[in-house]
Amino acid sequence: MSLLINHLKISINGKSLFPEVHMEITKGNIQTLMGPSGCGKSTILAAISGTLSTNFSIAGEIFLDDLPLMNLPTEERQVGILFQDDLLFPHFNVCQNLMFALPQNISKKVKLSRIFQALESAGLQGFDKRDIATLSGGQRARISMLRALLAEPKAILLDEPFSKLDAELKLSFREFVFNKIKEMNIPALLVSHDRADCYGDQYFDLQTGQFKQC
Amino acid sequence: MRVKSTLVLFPILCLILLLAPILLGLVSTWLPAFGYMPVIGATHFSLSYFNALFQHPAFTASVTSTLVSGIGATVLSLALAFWVIMHLYGTRSWAFLQKSLSPLLAMPHAAFAIGIALLISPSGWLLRIISPDITGFDSPPDWLILKDPKGYSLLFVLVLKETPFLILMILSALNQIKFRETFWVGSSLGYSSIRIWSRLVIPQLMPKLRLPILAVAAYSLSVVDISLIVGPSAPPTFAVLINRWFNDPDVSMRLLGSAGAVVLFLIVALVLLSILIIEQLLAKTTASNLVNGSRRSIISTLRPLAYGLNYSLSIIGIVCLAVLIIWSFTQVWRFPDALPSAYSLKYWAKSWPNLVDLSITSVTIALASTLISAIIVVGCLEFEVWAKRNGQSINHQRVLLLNYLPLLIPQIAFIFGVQVLLLWAHVEGTWFSMVWSHLIFVLPYVFLTLSGVYRGYDQRFYDVALTLSGSKWKSFYQIKLPMLLKPLLYSTAIGCSVSLAQYLPTLFAGAGRFSTVTTETVNLASGSDRRVMAVYALWQFAIPLIIFALAIGLPNRIFKDRVAMKS
Repeated sequence: MSLLINHLKISINGKSLFPEVHMEITKGNIQTLMGPSGCGKSTILAAISGTLSTNFSIAGEIFLDDLPLMNLPTEERQVGILFQDDLLFPHFNVCQNLMFALPQNISKKVKLSRIFQALESAGLQGFDKRDIATLSGGQRARISMLRALLAEPKAILLDEPFSKLDAELKLSFREFVFNKIKEMNIPALLVSHDRADCYGDQYFDLQTGQFKQC
Repeated sequence: MRVKSTLVLFPILCLILLLAPILLGLVSTWLPAFGYMPVIGATHFSLSYFNALFQHPAFTASVTSTLVSGIGATVLSLALAFWVIMHLYGTRSWAFLQKSLSPLLAMPHAAFAIGIALLISPSGWLLRIISPDITGFDSPPDWLILKDPKGYSLLFVLVLKETPFLILMILSALNQIKFRETFWVGSSLGYSSIRIWSRLVIPQLMPKLRLPILAVAAYSLSVVDISLIVGPSAPPTFAVLINRWFNDPDVSMRLLGSAGAVVLFLIVALVLLSILIIEQLLAKTTASNLVNGSRRSIISTLRPLAYGLNYSLSIIGIVCLAVLIIWSFTQVWRFPDALPSAYSLKYWAKSWPNLVDLSITSVTIALASTLISAIIVVGCLEFEVWAKRNGQSINHQRVLLLNYLPLLIPQIAFIFGVQVLLLWAHVEGTWFSMVWSHLIFVLPYVFLTLSGVYRGYDQRFYDVALTLSGSKWKSFYQIKLPMLLKPLLYSTAIGCSVSLAQYLPTLFAGAGRFSTVTTETVNLASGSDRRVMAVYALWQFAIPLIIFALAIGLPNRIFKDRVAMKS
């Protein structure tokens, strides 16, 4: 399972946002994408998830397991997203938020067992009935990650998910996210401002279009 | 390549539903005005009906009272709304006003007019309270307080009803500018609060208030139901006179009515145009004053007047409601007793069976027209979301203008034409015609109340739901709609209250086969027993109130354990 970004160029009004991007992220790997504000980091994620406005022109290809994504609607891409805001649904409790991510064709019993298992893995057992407004920032972030993974995506996009957390929380949540991605064995693309978020030896510098050492 | 979506059908449907009846209605009204109405045998174009109109003995007085009450109400309510806000915004008194304005805003125009009539007429509650001790009156004086020939009482009632509406509109406009920052900067430069308002805030607000002000002017110049209750009667205001001609047993009077409708349309257009020109002139002539450096204004010393006005506005709605409640339970109330000497449920019991029937009809029409409006509005707003994502820009000003169109054109100027069309299509006096004619006026309000919140929805929630569920429909009805349930139900309640208050559309499209609580209340107001009148007026107020209570209570009940949904 891999995510291939093949000579991708995004432009608006004929002006390229960044140099051509070419990378392959293999399963269980997390590729970090860095660059200054406004250089197009989130735009790449929107292009991969299929939520990019058609005001932008896209050249190049994106493949997930050899499946071309460009002409697929968002709901058929099987790509999960995690934003810097947790975006937990405010009208659902924790359990309902997680249940929304699970496929429809499995029984409620199985769904609940998966939810409890997921909550336990995040150290949040007993939180299933909690209103999301009563959770701390760290707890909300972990629920948000669990929700994204329960949908069993084939790849996951991380749009600065650690940037709003305080230093201590950031560290533990980053570890939690990285471990979960490895466990799920799916490719992930992480956009960040912070070099400390860098996973592995190198990151992709969007401004220069080159891989650099972390 | 331009991408297409079936969502485009919603704005098209909206355009058809709003524009078609107005344009066709206008044409079908204008043709009879020029002598062409084959159905009654008028087949020759002529200007004779305009001549007859201008020579009609009631014409001049009728137009005069219309202009006095219409223009006067617009200017005064705008001035009072600004006066109150400029002096009291942010004070403790302001918080009181905000809470107490709700009954005044929620009260249907007809019920409010009846309440005021029961309050200020020569035999009204006010005079009863101070008689005979202060006035010496043992019987009601022969004063012409209501239904005066120049339309001052109508002007008074319109001002009381439109001022809270304009205050609400100013508040909404304040949210669209950087009000707090403007105030900070102004204060730091040494300007007084009144000067900050007049030099910095109002010039920013005026473009955003243009359409509500024009709507108030158009409404005040062409209102029928309030005019029938408190307006002049011999002759009545122009809109009432036209309505009388349209309903005259002599069908040839419809041609005169049509000529009147054309002239009223032109009068309203002229007044609206004048308002726009005056606004531009004022902006130009006062431009240099805005930067003349004057920090203080003499108006600041008149703050106590604003407090008085504030409390008067707040109290009047409550007193109106109180007098309706008292009269509805009255058995005997002789002048000059301050309160009834005997109470009874008799008039409620007597009116109840008819009220139930009327309420079923009224609520059915209101719910049907509002639900259809809500679906169309949500469809249009979803089209906007889709269009934005697909690189197509939507001109929000144009959308706003389109929605205001039914509020800027006098109902009486095109509703007769709509009736002619319904008659031609053999659907006059059917549920379809009722719902459709109400929808023309309900849809704009649903759009205006819902669009702001809907456009402000964080679309990322929907995107996340899409990636999680893999279904557009599921993401929409399980995530987006429940998250927007509160504003959706609120705008639905507004839509219902607009429909429930409609008088002319029910009268014209119903062809006498449909009566609603409003049409019955207005009919009763012209000379019926005060106790029955109060029962109907109170019930006319109660129905929208129940709907509002449900619209506010239901989401609170559904999301009682969801703290974030309460904000």
